[in-house]
Amino acid sequence: MRFLLKKLALYAFIAWAALTLNFLIPRLMPGDPVQVLIAASEGQLTPEAAEAIKAQFGITDDPLLVQYLAYLGDLARLDLGVSLSHFPVPVSDIISGAMPWTLGLVGVATVISFLLGTGLGVLLAWRRGTWSDHVLPALTFLNAIPYFWMALILVLLLAVTLGWFPYAGGYDRTMFPELALPFIGSVLYHAALPALTIVIGSFAGWVLQMRNMTVTVLGEDYVSMAEAKGLPRRTVLFGYAARNAILPSITGFALALGAVVGGSMLTEVIFNYPGLGYTLFQAVSAQDFPLMQGLFLIISLAVIAANLIADAAYVVLDPRTRQGA
Amino acid sequence: MSISTLIPRSGKVRAGLAIVVAFVVIAVVGPFIARYDPNQTSFDMLEPPSGRHWLGTTQTGQDVFSQFMTGARTSLLVGLVAGVVSQVVSVAVGLLGGYLRGVADDLLYILTAVFLVIPGMPLLIVLTGYLPSRGLLSIAVVIAITSWAGSARVIRAQTLSLRNREFVEAARGTGESRARIMFFEVLPNMLPLVASGFLFSVIGGILAEAGLAFLGLGSLTTTSWGSMLYFAQNSQALLSGAWWWYVPPGLAIAVVGAGLALINFAIDEYSNPRLRTGSATRPGRSGRRAAAAVAAGAEAELSGVAETLAENDSPAGPGNDETAERTAAHPEFDRADEPELAPCLRTSPMPGSPIIEVDSLRVDYPTAFGTVHAVQDVSLTLRRGEILGLAGESGSGKSTLTNAITRLLRPPAEVAGGSIVYRADDGTPTDLLRLEDQGLRALRWNEIAVVFQSAMNALNPVTSIRAQFDDVIRVHRPGLPPARRTEIAGEHLERVGIPADRIDAYPHELSGGMKQRVAIAIALVLEPDVIFMDEPTTALDLLVQRDVLDQIVRLREEYGFAIVFTTHDLALLLEISDSVAVMRRGHLVEYGPARDLYREPGHQYTKNLLSSLEELGSLA
Repeated sequence: MRFLLKKLALYAFIAWAALTLNFLIPRLMPGDPVQVLIAASEGQLTPEAAEAIKAQFGITDDPLLVQYLAYLGDLARLDLGVSLSHFPVPVSDIISGAMPWTLGLVGVATVISFLLGTGLGVLLAWRRGTWSDHVLPALTFLNAIPYFWMALILVLLLAVTLGWFPYAGGYDRTMFPELALPFIGSVLYHAALPALTIVIGSFAGWVLQMRNMTVTVLGEDYVSMAEAKGLPRRTVLFGYAARNAILPSITGFALALGAVVGGSMLTEVIFNYPGLGYTLFQAVSAQDFPLMQGLFLIISLAVIAANLIADAAYVVLDPRTRQGA
Repeated sequence: MSISTLIPRSGKVRAGLAIVVAFVVIAVVGPFIARYDPNQTSFDMLEPPSGRHWLGTTQTGQDVFSQFMTGARTSLLVGLVAGVVSQVVSVAVGLLGGYLRGVADDLLYILTAVFLVIPGMPLLIVLTGYLPSRGLLSIAVVIAITSWAGSARVIRAQTLSLRNREFVEAARGTGESRARIMFFEVLPNMLPLVASGFLFSVIGGILAEAGLAFLGLGSLTTTSWGSMLYFAQNSQALLSGAWWWYVPPGLAIAVVGAGLALINFAIDEYSNPRLRTGSATRPGRSGRRAAAAVAAGAEAELSGVAETLAENDSPAGPGNDETAERTAAHPEFDRADEPELAPCLRTSPMPGSPIIEVDSLRVDYPTAFGTVHAVQDVSLTLRRGEILGLAGESGSGKSTLTNAITRLLRPPAEVAGGSIVYRADDGTPTDLLRLEDQGLRALRWNEIAVVFQSAMNALNPVTSIRAQFDDVIRVHRPGLPPARRTEIAGEHLERVGIPADRIDAYPHELSGGMKQRVAIAIALVLEPDVIFMDEPTTALDLLVQRDVLDQIVRLREEYGFAIVFTTHDLALLLEISDSVAVMRRGHLVEYGPARDLYREPGHQYTKNLLSSLEELGSLA
């Protein structure tokens, strides 16, 4: 379990780095956001809001360390400050309202895309040297399409032209959010197109990686031996080749997840989907710095948690990491 | 190296280069051939494409074509700057960490992990949200800051594996400075990685700029493909059906990205020959199959051939380009390109009925540079209980021969002629080359088992020894209950001197010698008639080699199976084999009882081999 403990320590450190980065960014970036905001408001900022900004940015003249400790104390109490654009709603309330939407949409779409892409990658590797090789350039093209443009095209085709799907929102606005079938149906119906965007935008990357890795592994002696053993083709392909080829995909999860999260945020913006990405976009447009930072922090922590899960899965899949357990 | 070798053969790479060059030209000359000022408004609002406005106009009457041409420069420039900056950072961090190791490496590793895990886009959005003014350069730098980590990790890993190679040690020995070693010895050896990282950084940069601009966080006073999409989205271009406004910039981003990724295919295939696919060579079916030659792992064999042809003593390396160049001079070459002495084949007086009969077997590797005849006219007879030693230098065709018999040849290698017959106990012949899937699977391991060259790689690294016994028993003896299967596996482990309780161990928990024994035990488990052993002891140290050999000979006595033992070590073969076959350049040059071959070798090549062994004192 030393592997997992080391990873845990690393992620704890990364989480701390994210917290600290979040603290430092407004203090180190050129320009003073507080002055920018107060100037931009042209006197329309209520005195309470002005105070809130000051509180958020620690406009006390305390030394940096005191401000930092106060910041950590606030975080420990889950106090992320007060939103400026939705004054005086606490940032944590806005985030907890947006969180389930993103977790549901991006989480499910990412899992589908990973499974679909990995499966297809194995298939293409097995059939290499045939027609399947001609699929590669097409997949490369698909992989390079910006998410938001893909979303635009899908909206044009499936929502505007054909009218099969709604093109904005998380659910039918005429409905009251409740745990009832019609509402859940409406949520799924609204999530279909954004989810499709994320899946189409990201699965090609998994396919290409898995194909290359499986092709490499198919040349290994243990695959030849499995074949020589007279095992059924399915066992050779999945029990030996794919079983080994998937390991780098899981190690590369961190890198891929970053791209998926970024792309998903843009997808949410296009669909006005009430998740974290759309909220972040609104916060940036409204120069709502406390909300912006709270969102950055939460998204980072969620990605860190996802990486930790991927590493735990790696430990299960690769016995070599369990050495010295 | 001539200019012609610089032009890629792969269609994918050519297409990628063509795309990228075309867009670079647009980026350079585009603003000059744009017919209008991209920001100039007019009363031709939301017009579809026409002779006056090739790509139509925007809501405020701006010419989309002019915006597109001008935007190309911005998008590519931001991508380029972000790519360069990000790659410089990742090379510096990866190289320093991997080379210096110790505390510096630990710190850089953690730094890399932080930037790798913290999602780039939100960080990018927050950072640009704070930027007081958003110039193109600052945006490119911010993009680079959020994107260098992945590539740095790859470069670090490569540096770690390169830092102990001979040429680096040699440089250290001559007292070169650390900086010089890092940048002039190590770095040039990972240029493919750096180039690939650079391509992806540029793609990432272009995409990130477009994303930021699309969110309204770019430099909106400068026209880029992303800002075009931003204005199109904000003016509801989608709902008003103005496809000419938002389709071209998005499509251009995707095409440029795909072009760069296609170029990367060349780098991937250069550094990992197994990935090569068809279109890399001359058109036509045979060409396509040929290109996969290297993919099938035949590269060692092929470069071995080329080395022999060129009479070059340097070891066969992965330098496929070199091989290609040399072999290109021989469009249709034959391994016997110099007068060969007649082969010396003595009929084997071995007792016992034949079990495998190979008759005039020929195996070809079609390649882009001509067909390599890897095995030519080889005839052999293996009898029950016989140990047949197969000797020859690497590239002589001995592995191709055994792979043909065990039906493990990977395409494009193909049997061009001859026959291989397996005879069951009662003498019933089976044509191995004609055997269909089902019949072949039933025959495998039941009658013919294989022990692979390197024990290190022959066992599946991620499953237990038990699982690797279990799957083969389950498939071939479907009726056995699980407990009985475990019992059988345990028995066979004990036979090769491994305690049965190690059955739940994983391969990485065993020593090299133990892994090789496990591989032998698995080969024995169904009590086959023949076991093919491909250099089964080469990877082991001397004492262990001796142990494993003794075990093999003892087990053969106990079970009575026949062995085809492949090695380049003739001395070893003479000691254990009943008969010996010597291969050279695809031909069988000498074949007969081991004793006769030792006493009076018939072929000059065998004589040379034997006398060099005597000089070394290997034959007592």
